Amino acid sequence: MVIQSPARAQEAGGEPSARQVAGRRWRSARGVVAALLAMAVIAVILAALRPSGSPERLDPTSPKKDGSRALAEILKQHGTPVTVARHAAQAVDQSGSGTVMVVTRSERLTQDDIDRLRGVQGGLLLVEPTTPVLEALAPGVRTGNISFANTADPQCSLQAATLAGTVTLGESQTYETSGNAVSCYQVDREARLVQVQDGPRTVTVLGSSTPLTNQHLAEEGNAALLMNLAGARGSVVWLAPDVPAKGAGAGQESLTDLLPFGVKLFFLELVIAVILVALWRGRRLGPVVAEALPVAVRSAETVEGRARLYRASRARDRAADALRSGARERIVPLLGLPRTSAQDPAAAREIVAAVARRTAQDEAYVGAALYGPEPVDDAGLIALTSVLDDLERQVRQS
Amino acid sequence: MALTGRLGLLALLGALVPILVPRWWALLAVWGVLLLGVLVDLALAGNVRALRFHRSGDTNVRLGETAQVALIVENLGRRRLKARLRDVWPPSAAAAPRTVQVDVPAGERRRVDMALTPTRRGDRRAVTVVVRSVGPLGLAARQLSRSAPWTVRALPAFPSRRHLPAKLARLRELTGAHIALIRGQGTEFDSLREYVDGDDVRSIDWRATARRADVVVRTWRPERDRRIYMVLDTGRTSAGRVGDIPRLDCSMDAALLLGALASRAGDRVDLLAYDRRVRTRVEGASRTDLLPAMVHAMAPLEPELLEFDAAGMVSTLMARVRQRCLVVLLTELNTAAIEEGLLPLLPLLTARHLVMIAAVTDPRIGEMADGRGDLAAVYDAAAAERARAERRRLTAELRKHGVEVVDAPPQEIAPALADAYLALKAAGRL
Repeated sequence: MVIQSPARAQEAGGEPSARQVAGRRWRSARGVVAALLAMAVIAVILAALRPSGSPERLDPTSPKKDGSRALAEILKQHGTPVTVARHAAQAVDQSGSGTVMVVTRSERLTQDDIDRLRGVQGGLLLVEPTTPVLEALAPGVRTGNISFANTADPQCSLQAATLAGTVTLGESQTYETSGNAVSCYQVDREARLVQVQDGPRTVTVLGSSTPLTNQHLAEEGNAALLMNLAGARGSVVWLAPDVPAKGAGAGQESLTDLLPFGVKLFFLELVIAVILVALWRGRRLGPVVAEALPVAVRSAETVEGRARLYRASRARDRAADALRSGARERIVPLLGLPRTSAQDPAAAREIVAAVARRTAQDEAYVGAALYGPEPVDDAGLIALTSVLDDLERQVRQS
Repeated sequence: MALTGRLGLLALLGALVPILVPRWWALLAVWGVLLLGVLVDLALAGNVRALRFHRSGDTNVRLGETAQVALIVENLGRRRLKARLRDVWPPSAAAAPRTVQVDVPAGERRRVDMALTPTRRGDRRAVTVVVRSVGPLGLAARQLSRSAPWTVRALPAFPSRRHLPAKLARLRELTGAHIALIRGQGTEFDSLREYVDGDDVRSIDWRATARRADVVVRTWRPERDRRIYMVLDTGRTSAGRVGDIPRLDCSMDAALLLGALASRAGDRVDLLAYDRRVRTRVEGASRTDLLPAMVHAMAPLEPELLEFDAAGMVSTLMARVRQRCLVVLLTELNTAAIEEGLLPLLPLLTARHLVMIAAVTDPRIGEMADGRGDLAAVYDAAAAERARAERRRLTAELRKHGVEVVDAPPQEIAPALADAYLALKAAGRL
């Protein structure tokens, strides 16, 4: 409220030292620095938490480590044609009772796509299905815990699994089942491979994508398991969906629909609290007092301005003239000549002679200093000031 | 009415309630509780409307000193009042403390002492008094703002008053009971005394000598009851700061010293502050009243950003002063302003009056003129030399018109002006 006048600030402790200035800057900036650091840390954490994997993960045409081209090729070599479908509709069209549809990257399926997949007649192999896909296509199967056991034994009656033997599943989703489902590779009675019969469909759910990848296909019985599962019906339709077009099938539910009612009320109350805090902070104890401040013009401002103009336009002639006439003004009274003669051109010879006599300098040198031409460069101007100062001092001391 | 941070905090905590009980009524219940708390607080808070304010204390303070102003808070209500009180003053009044806690039982009075240390000259008016009384729950407060008028006038500091005793001693040398006051020390006849060796023969009073056996000389003393008219220029050039002080303040200081000195010397002193119109005027003040009158007249003066109207000043002066007087113009020796404004009118003034111009030189010009070393400093020096030369030329021009010019840096302008006055007095030129 109270404006600290400069005079009072100086009284308090004179000019602040560099250390104090640095300290003040640090104190005023540390909040910003801390906020930036926090943002950087959060960004790094978020980047680290992002699910790894390239866009071509589990793609049957990708030869990368996390692609699945090897599996598709092996299936083809063993006489099982593999058709790659990029859209659910396309996949449903190409499938029939004699095909097994492999569904990878099911997080890219929209609700419409999932509805379409309900019409599939033959086999379905769901690899790491999302919850909506699991609920829609594998009735009676619910997600359980995550298992980190790397290898697993079949421990079940499913022929495809028993023939393949031990497989490496890596980090895997487990499933709880009810009814007539076959559960394999169990951990604590939760299975990592589940097969259920749903009308005409045989739905197999695999909780891990590790065995499908090019990198891990050759390990243990991975290849055998997948060939048994996928090649069960003679041909394979591999649904590796593209990222759905913007708005396609998505967005029926807005964010507000998804929020629980309590959270909405929480935010409403939060807004009220913010308004109350704003009212608290906004109510001052008394008004802000405006006051007309006096004009602060330095008296020497015009002279300083003229100096800058001289410098900007390199007015050496005028500057030298002013310096010389100033020096003459000071020297002339010391010589016992009338003051008026300092600016009188007619008295030039007399002044020069008198100065030369007093300082034992050459008359030409003194004449050039006191009445000479304009300096040719800036160095000449600076040199002129020292010559004038020397002359003045010598006259004063003589 | 005012809310508190506690209410905001409670509302924030209340946001957890709908998370636990996600129902509308839960939220409404939270609001209801908060509203009830606010109403209870407003009802039970001290009654700020029943307060009456009175003031007492200093009305004048010399700049740089502290004025004590008391605010008396009277509680006419039936309940005790505990409140935070803020006496609002303009920032340049530098009022302290900023806020105080007051506790006034019903029907009693309490005093709040405010210390004001104005940072600038002029009148400082109390803006208002604000009282905030928080209720027992600390959720809401009653707040009221009511004016309690008071004005503290910050008078010019008059730092040059320390020169006054020395100047008065010199004045006494001129006027007082010192021996051998002879011709040249004044023109007013004082008394006759016997001739002693060394007296000026022109001082011999032949008529008195003829009447007595001895040779008798007249003694003289400086004139009394002369008139001094000081004119303060409050135009744009007076706003320029020399060091951290406006030129006007330096001029005021010099005017105060001269006023004090001249009034002791028995002269009549008048003051006029002028830019394009008369800002203030002190005329016909008696010897004892002069200094307070001048100080009060000067206190609210601020430089106006207008060109000084020399013609207007001269005509005002000529209209007001008929007899010969010493006109002291406290201004700035600005070549353009003086040459165009004052110089053509000087013959008018000097024909009737003795004119003295006092101006403050800026030490910064001297520093610049002594600057050496790099190119910027040399150009600075050249510009400063040019300014000095102009000033010298202007001074010479003014002196040619018979004007006394006093040109000194800010610390010396007041004694220099006093010395110039004493010199005029000694020479009998007033």
